[in-house]
Amino acid sequence: MTLFKLSLRNAKRQARDYLVYFVTIVLTVAMIYAFNGLVFSEELLSLALMMKSLPLMVTLTSIAVVCIMGWLVHYITGFMLSRRSREFGTYILIGLENRQVARLFFLENLAVGCCALVFGILLGNLLYQVLRALVLALFRVPYHFGFTFSVRAVALTLFYFLFIYLLAQMKSRRRIRSMKIYDLIYFERQNEEAIFRTSGTRRNIFIVSVVLGVSGTILLMAGSLLTGLIGAGCIIAFMYGFFGSFSSGVPAWFAKRPACKYKGVTLLIFRTLSAKLATMGIVMATVSLLFTAVLISQGSGLVFSDLFRNRAIQTTVFDLCIGFDDSDTTDLPLLLKPYLDYIDANVPLAASRQYAVYSSEGSAVTDYILESGISYYNYYKKDTVMKYSDYAALREMLGYPQVPLESGRYLIHSALYLQDVLSRYELPVALGGDTLIPGGIHTEYFNQYWDINGMGFILVVPDEAAGNCSIHHSLYVAMTAEPLTQTQFAALKAIRDDDSRPKYDTLLSKTNEAAQAAASTAILVFPLYYLALVLAMTAATVLTIQQFSESVRYRRQFALLRKLGMDSRDMARALRCQFAIYYAMPALPPILIAVPFILNLGAATEPGILVGSSHPVMISLVTLGLFFLIYAVYILMSYVGIKRNVLSASV
Amino acid sequence: MLQVKNIEKYYGSKNNVTKALDRVSFDVAKGEFIAIMGASGSGKTTLLNCISTIDTVSAGDILLDGESIAKLPAGELARFRRERLGFVFQDFNLLDTLTIEENIGLALSLNHVDPRDVRRRVKAAAQKLGIEDILEKFPYQVSGGQKQRAACARAMVAGQSLLLADEPTGALDSKSSKNLLEILSRMNEDMSATILMVTHDAYSASYAGRILFLKDGRIFNELLRGERSRSDFYHEILDVLALLGGDISDVI
Repeated sequence: MTLFKLSLRNAKRQARDYLVYFVTIVLTVAMIYAFNGLVFSEELLSLALMMKSLPLMVTLTSIAVVCIMGWLVHYITGFMLSRRSREFGTYILIGLENRQVARLFFLENLAVGCCALVFGILLGNLLYQVLRALVLALFRVPYHFGFTFSVRAVALTLFYFLFIYLLAQMKSRRRIRSMKIYDLIYFERQNEEAIFRTSGTRRNIFIVSVVLGVSGTILLMAGSLLTGLIGAGCIIAFMYGFFGSFSSGVPAWFAKRPACKYKGVTLLIFRTLSAKLATMGIVMATVSLLFTAVLISQGSGLVFSDLFRNRAIQTTVFDLCIGFDDSDTTDLPLLLKPYLDYIDANVPLAASRQYAVYSSEGSAVTDYILESGISYYNYYKKDTVMKYSDYAALREMLGYPQVPLESGRYLIHSALYLQDVLSRYELPVALGGDTLIPGGIHTEYFNQYWDINGMGFILVVPDEAAGNCSIHHSLYVAMTAEPLTQTQFAALKAIRDDDSRPKYDTLLSKTNEAAQAAASTAILVFPLYYLALVLAMTAATVLTIQQFSESVRYRRQFALLRKLGMDSRDMARALRCQFAIYYAMPALPPILIAVPFILNLGAATEPGILVGSSHPVMISLVTLGLFFLIYAVYILMSYVGIKRNVLSASV
Repeated sequence: MLQVKNIEKYYGSKNNVTKALDRVSFDVAKGEFIAIMGASGSGKTTLLNCISTIDTVSAGDILLDGESIAKLPAGELARFRRERLGFVFQDFNLLDTLTIEENIGLALSLNHVDPRDVRRRVKAAAQKLGIEDILEKFPYQVSGGQKQRAACARAMVAGQSLLLADEPTGALDSKSSKNLLEILSRMNEDMSATILMVTHDAYSASYAGRILFLKDGRIFNELLRGERSRSDFYHEILDVLALLGGDISDVI
């Protein structure tokens, strides 16, 4: 048999034994390719001006992804080498040269790698279509399937891939070439040594690492770059210290409590796991760090995407909104004229209205909100007021149901986050001699994010009551027959930016806000998800490959236990528990670090923007849910594989 | 105590049947130390596997304390094994992630013995076998002889009534072998343990009170030690082996 044939046969076996690894590489290549597709897509980059930053962000993320994938390939190649060193030793024993064996290993890895590359690029084309559809949907541009094969995207993917593979392979090649038969045959005996030996050191390291972990998490949330970096450093030290000392501390704990140890299947579970942890403490810590990064990037991605989306929705619900600062009503027709000229000529309207927002005589409601302790940005000195006739007309424009206002009463229209506080406000409001009593609260989106229709809330009063108040600012709002295009918005912006105008008007459009949000999401959120997904897959692959590699030992162990008379139910239970703890261990510290981080990040945003399903608590739950969904796929694959291998073989 | 009645065991498919055991019958009395000898492929291990319920017989019956093993439902077999049988294997079969103490305690743990009682019982068993000072060590830290003694402790700690040993001295040097065989004899004499040992080593077999010789799946001969010295018995075994046509390497 030629060397080439042997390589091919080994490659086939390798693909089967390391299926999880193979699948992860294929998926990673697919993602690299799909994102490279974005980098070179003229269609998508021209969607908004901001999208010009997309290639930079994606390329930076891809470089991080390439480093992570490089680590995975390097780790798994080294791992395979140690598992198969006896086989390589045998090749050398029967007369092959080191050089030939190194080439054999290189060729089979290259064969597997090339297969992964081909599958990855094919799958990447599909994934690119999904990404393209997502981006287009963000920009509300209709999606049409158009097969695109970007040579430049393939070339860039190939470049990344060769960089990763050749580097990893050269390293193992050098290793094999310099190895002696004895080393190869006994290579698998080498293992990670327990990191900290004496129990005193272990306890100290454990305590120090936990302190570092807690302070690192706090520093990470402090908000500045420097504290963030120090925090990250502390967390890295915590992980390695924690997993190094924890795994060797467990046997010491059980040694003092024999009654706990010999209860049920505890003995088997704890020994199998502590043996595993003791030999792979460093790997566990690395995996745990990767998971922390996954949760943080995924959670931040969700926070940002909800932030951008909610800001856009809350900024304006009108297709067009022009605000004129504290202007006299007499000036308004003059100020509005250039806009209206353009609109009449170019933008078909469904409805429009001019109205004013008034200042009331006091700030009782604002003071009440501030006193309630809720996070609120105070903008107005006095509470803002709106005429009921304007309010009713605006509601009709927006398609909201009409609400009545009885005479002698006032309504509150507020943002959702103030609803709880303001619904408890029961004091009357005095306006120019009229005293109005509360008449209810409404919370539909109503341009209350900025200071348009009040900051967070506005009082709606009978027209005659508002007549006594001074105008704070005037507004022109419109709903267009067709969504306003970017060109139309640019033309209106040019009018606004005309130097000859006395004041700077506020100009908002729904389409523009949505486009800004879409571009920000594509630039910031997509790369974060991309990173999170690759990190999660890499870490889960390492854990799963480690678990699979133990299947022979597990099989022997369970065969013996069966002979010793262990119930098959107990065996299944022991295996399940081992699995649960093995996979939970590296996931727990990341949850404890990332959840406070996400909550803190969410709380740092402006008030009222992350509410309802976007509440930081919900975002944390969704982040954990998504993470465990990906994780569960790997856990399930490994559990099914091991259970079939281990339990059925021992029957 | 143990009655093996006319058991047969076939392997293979319809067209290619291998008869591993052919109408094998014998009885083992309580407190007896019995050895089964034979060349490679004679059916020794198959017989041991059938008695230990790891394998099933094709025909015949095996009774332990009057209870038929062959008719036990699958769920009962596990319980039967952990309560009644103790195993000692050629390659020790200790779990390498457990300490010696834990390996012995495992048999008790599987039998749902009160966890607070485990350590005391393990210590008592270890003391009898002279391994109380290695209890904290892992299997890779102790010698083969010590490992095999730990296996013996595991096989008797839960009060199992029948100890099944498969080539227990196979992986030991001559000094450790002698030591282990003396321990088995002592367990047999002092604690009236019933031992069934499979071996192809005449020296090991000479420690037993009775020897069954298997050839091609059938009992070919039976030797009783009676009042003879161990050395006389050893020579007699060699004679039988010569008759069996066993390879000289099997004998030594």
